[in-house]
Amino acid sequence: MFKMSEYTFVAAALCLGLASLIYLAYAVSGLRAGMLRTAGGPGGASSTVTFASGPYTSELGRYGTIIGWLAMVTLTVSLIFRTIATGHGPFANMYEFSIAFAWGILVAYYWFERRYSQRILAVVAMPVALGLMLYAVTIPSTIEPLVPALQNNLLLTIHVAVAIVAYGSFTVGFGAALLYLVQPEQGRWGLPKPKILEEIGYRAIVVGFPFLTLTVILGAVWAEVAWGKYWSWDPKETASLLTWLIYATYLHARVVRGWRAKRAAWLLMLGFAATLFTYFGNLYFGGLHSYAGLAQ
Amino acid sequence: MAQTLQTSSAPGDARITGAIPAGAASAGLLDGILDGLWHGLTSMRFAIALTLIAAALSFVGALVMQAPAGVLADANAKAAWIAQVRPKYGAFTDVFDALQVFNIFNSLWFRLVGGLLVASITACTAHRTPAVWRTATKPTVDVGEAFFEHAPQHEAMVVHRSADEALAAVRTVLGKRRFRTLVHNDGTMHLYADRNRWGPFGSLVGHLAFVVILAGAMIGGALGFQNPDFTIAEGSTLTVPSATGLSIRLDAFRDSYDPATGMPLDYASQVVLFEDGTEVARHTIRVNDPLRYDGISFFQSFFGPAVILSATADGGSPLFSGGVPLAWSADDSDRAIGTLDLPGTGKVAWVAGTSGGNDTVVRPGQLLVEIYQADGAGTLVERKTIDQGVATTVGGVTFTFQREEKFTGLAISRDPGAPLIWLGSLLLFGGFVLVLMFPHRRLWGRIAPRPDGGATLLVGSIGRKDTTAGIEFTELVNDLRAVLHAPART
Repeated sequence: MFKMSEYTFVAAALCLGLASLIYLAYAVSGLRAGMLRTAGGPGGASSTVTFASGPYTSELGRYGTIIGWLAMVTLTVSLIFRTIATGHGPFANMYEFSIAFAWGILVAYYWFERRYSQRILAVVAMPVALGLMLYAVTIPSTIEPLVPALQNNLLLTIHVAVAIVAYGSFTVGFGAALLYLVQPEQGRWGLPKPKILEEIGYRAIVVGFPFLTLTVILGAVWAEVAWGKYWSWDPKETASLLTWLIYATYLHARVVRGWRAKRAAWLLMLGFAATLFTYFGNLYFGGLHSYAGLAQ
Repeated sequence: MAQTLQTSSAPGDARITGAIPAGAASAGLLDGILDGLWHGLTSMRFAIALTLIAAALSFVGALVMQAPAGVLADANAKAAWIAQVRPKYGAFTDVFDALQVFNIFNSLWFRLVGGLLVASITACTAHRTPAVWRTATKPTVDVGEAFFEHAPQHEAMVVHRSADEALAAVRTVLGKRRFRTLVHNDGTMHLYADRNRWGPFGSLVGHLAFVVILAGAMIGGALGFQNPDFTIAEGSTLTVPSATGLSIRLDAFRDSYDPATGMPLDYASQVVLFEDGTEVARHTIRVNDPLRYDGISFFQSFFGPAVILSATADGGSPLFSGGVPLAWSADDSDRAIGTLDLPGTGKVAWVAGTSGGNDTVVRPGQLLVEIYQADGAGTLVERKTIDQGVATTVGGVTFTFQREEKFTGLAISRDPGAPLIWLGSLLLFGGFVLVLMFPHRRLWGRIAPRPDGGATLLVGSIGRKDTTAGIEFTELVNDLRAVLHAPART
């Protein structure tokens, strides 16, 4: 089972790398077409809300999606094999959590791709997922027994699984905000219109925010059971609260004049930075969550 | 306040246009101040600023080391801790200390921001409740014809059906989409339909949850107790602090490790709990498996060596017999040390175990015993290393070091605020799911009979003009057309 999970992990990483390249080619092809169009070339004025299209753009996008799906499926299989091999959810150390995070990004991305058909977001989401997979490669994948604090299969599984959904959604929100910020109000280079990106960003947080809330609450429940205190201002707890506060601000900012648009998009960028800070933080400042770091 | 609460305002508008009532100048000033305060507390910008400040303080708290609980209250412990972090923070150490950065979550700053945030949340919620309630229970049915031209989403169609038939068809279509419909007929039929009308209440519930959580934390802090380092040696029975009539006995402590990696596998304390001398609970406490009894919880926290010894006074009367946890470490060596009272002698004993094979003072199988006067000065009476199994007199007290055992460190707590914390968490999550996942959708319609026996149907919707709402509206209109056989609009 362990071997199978390793093989499928490598397959998933390769698919993800390939999908990233294809999506990149898709973006380049579309951007070239978009620039031609802005320059008054063929295509003319188009009110399309989807990405601009060159001769190979849609073809490339379709292949990117197929390979990306393949990556998601193989990664799912890999996580299932690893779960069977270890006997607990694949969330117990930085290796497992990195793969699960990448998986969360893929799931969140494809959910949004199906709903909004904005493949250009993959240019941001796929490399982030790939980066996490490559990071996982640098960590030993050996299976070790759970330290006593983690020996709570139910809470380990749901506390982290819920976090994965939140983090995946926030990555999509980050992608939307990034594409929003690189273009002016009216749109540029045939990129998706700012309005639709704004909506995708909001949807991503609407999904991710309740999940982050649940992550923090379940973390408090678990902390009470394992450590005797539901809140200890442990660095990881604090960082997740910080992330939560930023996204809470974002949700409120959207209804205040002057905070819409650019400032809201910046809050999404800040929120994603806080997400990464929460995720990697325990490697640097120890605390009660430090067992989740590297065993060495 | 009650006055301003009733002031009507449009939903979503966080501001209030409360006019200052005419009256004496001083009353006007007071009203002005109250009005300004209310205005600030209900302002969304103010709330956003507070949240961002709280986030910034949290960021600092995550980056800068925080002093462990209790350290800053004890001047000696504080000085030692500050000295320990000084190499890391250098010249900033004293600045950080002065600004309470090492204890940021109990700092004046954090309390101030937290207090204002809760005040703001409470004020905003109180302010919004009447409008949210009205929108859900007393919606405006008749919106006037101009609305249907200016609504973000609107549609008009002519149908070859009577107005009554058209209404029935519209109601069927809306009913399938879980919309409720309200109709007001004054010759022209005014139609209001909505779905998830309780959704916005999720926002109120989710925000009030903060007050519940804060109340839980305050009750826990005021009425509960935390003893994070209760130590008990194997074989000992001790009274449980801050709990009347409870005592606990540790039968055994076991720690086990993975032979391959040396990683810990299990820490388990087998304990028996007594209430007024009667056994009431028996449990093996593990890291994820605390013992809970009558509102008091016992958690596995740490462990270490203990020594079993007996102490007798000059005349042979027993002073102590049992286990002493060696739960502290000496400042100047690696020896684990513990302490015991010698009742009636006016002295206390400190005992230290060996630090290992390289320890030339306390060898394995030996124990260092130090006797101090139990007065303020704490003068050393005598210090002696004693051998296991050999009765030795130190400072007028005869000690027998019997054997080594283990002690377990338990965290004991009673938190009467915890139920409120969990209730608040539930409200927080439930409220957010309700408001974010079940947005209130509203539609207005107008069916006017035409002289030819047919009718004109106008439909309009407000709210955020996003793709999802747009698609929903388009689909609804398509369904209406299909049912009414209305010609497609060109």
